[in-house]
Parts: sequence; C-alpha cells; structure tokens
Amino acid sequence: MTGPDRTARAGQPEIRRALPHRFPMLLVDRVLDVVPGERITAVKAVTCNEPWYRDLPEGAEDFGYPQVLLMESWCQAAGLLATWEDPNPDVLTGKVMLFGAVTGLRYHGPVLPGDVLEHRATITRTLGDTLIIAGESRVDGAPVLTVDSAVLAFRPAGELRPDPALIGESHG
Amino acid sequence: MSRPRAVSPVSAAVSPATAAVSPVTAAVRLVRPPAPDARGRTTAATGVVIGADEPVLPGHYPGFPIFPGVCVIECVRLSALAAPPPGAGPLTMDEVESTRFLSPVFPGDELSVELTWRAGAAGWTCTAEVATARAAAARVRVRFTTGEES
Repeated sequence: MTGPDRTARAGQPEIRRALPHRFPMLLVDRVLDVVPGERITAVKAVTCNEPWYRDLPEGAEDFGYPQVLLMESWCQAAGLLATWEDPNPDVLTGKVMLFGAVTGLRYHGPVLPGDVLEHRATITRTLGDTLIIAGESRVDGAPVLTVDSAVLAFRPAGELRPDPALIGESHG
Repeated sequence: MSRPRAVSPVSAAVSPATAAVSPVTAAVRLVRPPAPDARGRTTAATGVVIGADEPVLPGHYPGFPIFPGVCVIECVRLSALAAPPPGAGPLTMDEVESTRFLSPVFPGDELSVELTWRAGAAGWTCTAEVATARAAAARVRVRFTTGEES
C-alpha cells in the first residue's frame, strides 16, 4: 500500500481487543479498512457451520442466514468504528458501547452460507458520547442490508449490571 | 380459561420444507391470540422465556450473559409469525423500521410481547412493546411483506 496511511486493516487479534463479543456471537471476521472517526469496511463470511444451522432437519430448504444476525454483524462493524481509537472489550468496567436505537434497517434479499458480507459504516453525526452511524452490507457488490441510522451510546458499565434479586423467577 | 398454546421454536419446526434458521431457541407461547381491538386493529400477546441455555449467551458475553438486543427483535419476529393478522399470507420481515432498546434482558427473564398489526401498502407493520418483569425492554416496529421473497 502506498500513500498516507490513514486507513488500517485488522484481523481477529485486533477485533478481539476491541469487541467483548465471542463465539458464537463475534460476527466480524476482518476489517479491510478503517478511518477512525469516519468510516469502516469489514467482512464476515457466513458458513453453514455456525451453530444456528445445527438443528435444521435433513431436507431443509431454507438456509437463509438469520436476519437479526446480519443486523448484529453490521452493528459490530459499526461498533468497531466507534471504538477503534479507544477500545474497551470488557463489559464489566469503564464505559461500554450500547446500541440505543436503530431506524430504517432494510433487508434486500437472503444471505446464504458461502456469502461474504461486506459491511460499510459511516459516522454521520457525533453528539457528545453518542454517535449516529449509517451504512450497508453487500454480497458480491449487491446490497443485502441498508441502515438509515443506528445510535451508539457509551454508558457506564454499571448500567448493564443486573440486580440479582430482580431477575427471573429464581425461586422456582 | 383456555390453556396457553405452545408454539414450537422455528428451528424445531416439524416440516423440513418450512424449517428456518434462528439464533433463538426459546418457544413462543401464545398468550392472547390475534383479535381486533376497540379501534379495529389486530392485537396479540406472547410470552418468551429466555433460558440460560440460549446458544447466543456464551459469547454475549463470556461470564456476563446478556440476551442480545437483536435477539429481542428475533423474539418479536417469531411472535409475529406465531400471531399473524388473520388472512395474511406467509410473512417475511423486510424492514426494522425502528427499534429502541430500553433495558437489558438477562437469562431467566420472561419477555412479554404485545403486538399491534397495521395493514400497509405492501404488507403489514407490526409494533411490539417488549417487557421483562422489571421494566420495558424494547419497542420495535417491523415491516413484513407477504408472499415469497426471492
């Protein structure tokens, strides 16, 4: 590569230093290009060895990748962009990144095992500790997902912590 | 009082032809079948118990399981498929028009999902209020098309 190196390329070590997600919910494989504060391009390869495919019956016809995981994968790419210069892979301390809201997230066709998702995300606004990010995901150049806006906010980790006394029906 | 009817999780659907892939294995329980409300809109309610054995939880996050927000949306989608508006054809989600995540969902929580359907030009819009026993968890508006998507 030549020219001013404002962009970076990163693999799993860098991704795992930035995101708290792990198998089977770490849904970004590689960062192709990132300009901190501006934009990111990242990829995820979809495979039928992901656990969601395990219990499909023999003879199944629909191998469409779960739509919400496509959303999650794009959001993780957006999260990498948001935290690139100040990563915190620990959800228990410091400030954690949360998706507060998403609007206008459209699906344009099925994603299948063998597809390589190319996520593109761009920061469109910054409001203090809150970022607005837009973008899309493509397979072979054709959009499969477009996102008008996703709101990422950084909040103290304590806000996520459950009060054990209030969770579920632990008394059985 | 009729007993709530259990709806099989999609991943365990009986017919291979209709089986579909989902990251959520919890069963959707139909609490209130689709019926018109006072304003003529179809509403319904479901319940989804989030077990500690949900496959997403080991990675979200290690040592600190939080049910992912996108899986709350999946619970809405599965609830919508389990409680469709009368006469609608096969429903395919084609847009998450809006979603707001309001409070975290933890294993052991039971989600209560209140659905309101509106007919649109090219399908149906489903608005869902999702709550745990503690608090509102999410507000989600999802658009479905009817018929096969190619």
